[in-house]
Amino acid sequence: MGRQLKFKIFRFNPQNPESVPRMEVFSLDETDSMTLFIALNRIREEQDGSLQFEFCCRAGICGSCAMVINGRPGLACHTKTKDLPDEITLTPLPVFELVGDLSVDTGSWFREMYNKVESWVHTDKVFDPNAIEDPMDNAIAEEIYELDRCVECGSCVAACGTARLRDDFMGATALNRLGRFVIDPRDKRTDEQYFEVIGSDEGIFGCMGLLACEDVCPKNLPLMNQLSYLRRKMGVVALKQIFKK
Amino acid sequence: MSFDLPVTAAKSGKTDAILDWLQMISGVALIIFVFMHMTLVSSVLINPGIMDAIAHTYEANYMAQVGGPLLFLLFLFHFYLAARKIPFRLEGQKTIWAHAKMLNHRDTWLWIVQAASAMIILIMGSIHMWAVLSDLPITAARSAARMQSGPWVYFYLLLAPLVVLHVVAGLYRIAVKWGVAKDYSREKLNKIAIGLGIAFIVIGLATIVRFMTLAV
Repeated sequence: MGRQLKFKIFRFNPQNPESVPRMEVFSLDETDSMTLFIALNRIREEQDGSLQFEFCCRAGICGSCAMVINGRPGLACHTKTKDLPDEITLTPLPVFELVGDLSVDTGSWFREMYNKVESWVHTDKVFDPNAIEDPMDNAIAEEIYELDRCVECGSCVAACGTARLRDDFMGATALNRLGRFVIDPRDKRTDEQYFEVIGSDEGIFGCMGLLACEDVCPKNLPLMNQLSYLRRKMGVVALKQIFKK
Repeated sequence: MSFDLPVTAAKSGKTDAILDWLQMISGVALIIFVFMHMTLVSSVLINPGIMDAIAHTYEANYMAQVGGPLLFLLFLFHFYLAARKIPFRLEGQKTIWAHAKMLNHRDTWLWIVQAASAMIILIMGSIHMWAVLSDLPITAARSAARMQSGPWVYFYLLLAPLVVLHVVAGLYRIAVKWGVAKDYSREKLNKIAIGLGIAFIVIGLATIVRFMTLAV
């Protein structure tokens, strides 16, 4: 016989003026291989149809089901209940705008982030649709792909002490995103241009090195290595600019 | 990053970069100083005569008279630099405290320990430097006399472990922030930091005990 799980879930609907932020308790029988995705769907189907949460792929690819699970941001679809205690507390991700209950608007935040880091390949090369694609060194392609695995769930930002203290901080996902273009040979931006984007306390120099981003990332992205690489690189750009004068 | 900020590139921050470099460099300098200082003072464990000889050499070369005040300035400068990141408003303190409690994450708690110990070290370190530098020359007998008078022993029983904690946490933080350690070596670095911390706390406490038992 499986465990009886107790779910304490944050409830609040900002659209409803009568709604008050509160924690609600739900009980559920644990089944084999149960994930939080399964548990939340069962709660919504069997106990409370008004419960709001987000899901799309249920396979850790879309990044939409990130929430705070017993204090740690993570993907609900990736989290098995057997790895959790009998009592499970679920709250929405901080930093992002609350849609309702466990659902937050990460989309607007990420859209803003793309604009801020100019998340596209900057090149003056005219695109020729008939030409064969330029080959890329396999090692570089793999390095880029490693960073491109980010599913934009927002867990790293929600776990970041700096992002909690200052809302202009870009967060690990944005720095990782820019880092992906830094190593992409097709992007013609210079180090000085990258510095313009992340070379400040809003960017890489704001990072205090608490490493919660590294520890909560559900895709295990190499954020610690990536952030320290950018800190050194941007630090050297600043020194060069000063000593060149 | 607030989602409703206007769409502009982040302001260029050459100053931010330089201050970050200086925070790291001043931190490394102070870490080296603390480890050297504690090791040299612990020479009293072997023989008070050795400590007196080392202190005399430092004073003969004016390293205590000139170096001491310069070190105090470096200490204040490091505080000024690192304080840029510390929330001094209650609102920010509540936020980071609630965040650390929610996350229950080792390195986030370690940062709070670093920030809180910094405040105490700022005051106690200043008192320590004033007490020592205004009572030159440094000798084992004078240090023992101070330790044995009034509440000084309790003062150092708090200051020595706090400084070690702060310095070791700082060493760890610099190594992970600047990439001296990579993700695969982070746990090894953590073990080294804990080992260093325990070693220097033991050295510090043993030195305090020696001063307490030294005949004045």
